[in-house]
Amino acid sequence: MQVRRTIAFAGVAGVMALIWLAMPLSGQQRPSATPQFASTFRAQRAADGHPDLNGIWQAMVTANWDLQDHDAQPGPHPELSGAYASGPAGQSIVEGGEIPYKPQALAKKKSNFENRLRVDVSNDKTWHDLGDPEMKCYMPGVPRANYMPFPFQIVQGTSPYILFAYEFTSATRIVRMDWKQDAPTDSWMGWSRGRWEGDTLVVDVTGQREETWFDRAGDYHSDALHVVERYTAASPFHILYEATIEDPNVFTRPWKISFPLYRRMEKNVQLLEFKCVPFTEQLLFGKFIKPRDSAR
Amino acid sequence: MRTIQSLVVVSVALIVLALAAPARAHHAFNAEFDANKPIKFKGVVTKMLWVNPHAWIYVDVKKPDGTVEEWMIETGTPNTLLRRGLTKESLQKGTEIVVDGYQSKDGSRRANGRDLTLPNGQTLFLGSSGTGAPYEKK
Amino acid sequence: MRNRVRSSIAVLAAVLAVGLFVPAAGQAPKKYVAPKTPWGDPDLQGVWNDATSTPLQRPSNVGTGVLNDEEAEEFQKSLAHDLSRDRRDGGNAADVNRAYNEHWMDARRLKITADKRTSLIVDPADGRIPPLVQASPERQKIQAARAAGAQRFAAGLPDHYTDMSWPVRCVVRTDVPPYLPTIYNNDFQIFQSPGYVAIGPEMIHSARIIPVDGRPHLNKGLRQWLGDTRGHWEGSTLVVETTNFRADEGVLFQNANPATFTITERFTRVAADSINYEFTVADPSTWTKPWTALIPWTKIDPAEQMYEYACHEDNFDIVHFLTGARLREKNGETVGQQRPAPAGGER
Repeated sequence: MQVRRTIAFAGVAGVMALIWLAMPLSGQQRPSATPQFASTFRAQRAADGHPDLNGIWQAMVTANWDLQDHDAQPGPHPELSGAYASGPAGQSIVEGGEIPYKPQALAKKKSNFENRLRVDVSNDKTWHDLGDPEMKCYMPGVPRANYMPFPFQIVQGTSPYILFAYEFTSATRIVRMDWKQDAPTDSWMGWSRGRWEGDTLVVDVTGQREETWFDRAGDYHSDALHVVERYTAASPFHILYEATIEDPNVFTRPWKISFPLYRRMEKNVQLLEFKCVPFTEQLLFGKFIKPRDSAR
Repeated sequence: MRTIQSLVVVSVALIVLALAAPARAHHAFNAEFDANKPIKFKGVVTKMLWVNPHAWIYVDVKKPDGTVEEWMIETGTPNTLLRRGLTKESLQKGTEIVVDGYQSKDGSRRANGRDLTLPNGQTLFLGSSGTGAPYEKK
Repeated sequence: MRNRVRSSIAVLAAVLAVGLFVPAAGQAPKKYVAPKTPWGDPDLQGVWNDATSTPLQRPSNVGTGVLNDEEAEEFQKSLAHDLSRDRRDGGNAADVNRAYNEHWMDARRLKITADKRTSLIVDPADGRIPPLVQASPERQKIQAARAAGAQRFAAGLPDHYTDMSWPVRCVVRTDVPPYLPTIYNNDFQIFQSPGYVAIGPEMIHSARIIPVDGRPHLNKGLRQWLGDTRGHWEGSTLVVETTNFRADEGVLFQNANPATFTITERFTRVAADSINYEFTVADPSTWTKPWTALIPWTKIDPAEQMYEYACHEDNFDIVHFLTGARLREKNGETVGQQRPAPAGGER
């Protein structure tokens, strides 16, 4: 009887040991399942004495579909294109998960999304009212340009200007390291003033055209948009990108997004052209062309 | 000794030729505006759209019967104005101007601004600066 | 007497000595050495403007390539007069076009180049584009179709957005090489980093990123509106070669053939505030021989900036042109039968 109890006890203990081993270890004892950025990483210096951000970079997140959590979705016309043009799932890049809209501002996000594939440019005054600006091949603004599924190149030299050149519609922005005043006028890519805080490039962006969207889900802003970006090299192949977005007309408080940018490592990789204007002309202007059956 | 006169005569012909270079031609205003539809009216500026390739000035025009029509006046690139030191606030809302130009070929209330003049006779956007226009008083 | 001769000789010797060591008027002072970036490339960074009234081609009865001071002043004055949009002579038809008047232009475009040349072209020696070669029948057909579209557009009766030029459609503008001066927004911003030179033309907001590290061009199968560019340094000159142009007609200067067109550009910093931009273009399908032009670029006032040129985003005019054409067709107008504008300045 005692032997059987001992065996039973040992069996239970053994099972419990197995269970214990299978449980995740706590605190410092847990080995990391994935590699982490070394907190001691110090970026190589560029000729301007600051961390070298030169290179070709691209985001891997699917935030251009939707900044927040999103399931996979069919494209606009699955009956024509099947799985082509469909969208992958993605996890929110918004800190806290949700964008803090003012309740009354959500209606416009909803109508943006419902009208994202419609255009009507017959009247100058309502030219921008319908359609995702990305679909119309308009410059995407900041921060959307940084998480489009296209690479961009940073050219950081010894002039007071750092160039960000985006493959999407060949958009460019100039980060002015010596500019103190406000944006002289509005622009689609905004007016960017840069400074270094230790090893982080901080870029303050104002003067953006109110017509840009944050994503294809219709997330939007007003002309009061103020974006502060932070670029921190996390390894020789990664930049940690963060942006704080503020717009008191649309959101209840500032909110933050973040994701890594990955260095494109293909041999002889370069930005190619994505000049999409010709892809949009029939959509935008097709209804104003001469009908084919009319006599000349 | 070669005369300057002949230089002048020939350079005219050459310039006309050079301006006809197709790939770089900016669109001619006469493709959009109608030389047969000159307009001249007085109106009040309501806003200015600083957009490329052409900035637009919105003007409210009061007709004799008291109704108000809104016109859009096509002008040049905002980047050129910025370089002249003008700002977004330069053409103040409420400024009364006289527009002298040509109406759009499609008959809509659009025109190009051949002359934009203040009621006291000073001109806006005419040639180089130094006209005493409101934006220069800043 | 001897003292006077001796002193005269001394004076003469002194004058000669000064003459030997002081540059004579018209000669350059000691040669400018361009500063270098910390990684050793000549420094071209900055914002540069290429506006000028000096014509691309020499006026046909001007026999010389360079003018003296008096002639240059006359030349500049006559060019400024002819180019001016503030003139009200010429009747309504001219008046409509000149509504886009001098205020909207780059004032620097009324100035000739500092070296007083009579053409931007420096080769051939007559300062003119070499004779044209007749295009192949296939290309002639395409060019004729484009010319018909351009004619419809100029008459205010375009059928289709493809009747308009690539610049009007906001696909490309002054960013297609070679860079030529135009009425405004003549700015180019140059950025450099190790292994790269990037040139950002103002119109239309693109960046021509030029690897200078010796890597090969893209393979022939990849083609771009602005081609594919590679650079290398020859002394302090950046030598730039561009290939891989798309096959579309009407993009390249004078309808050059993208399949056979070649261009080499050279950028040399010749002064603190000046870059010499020189290009040589060749196309056996278009010109009987290659030709070269030299255009000075001047550094702009640091308070000035290069601004965003967002062309397609607010291109209301495309709609205006097309809707205007539809209305006029409805009223019975055709390209050959438009109502003529009043003559003699009638308003």
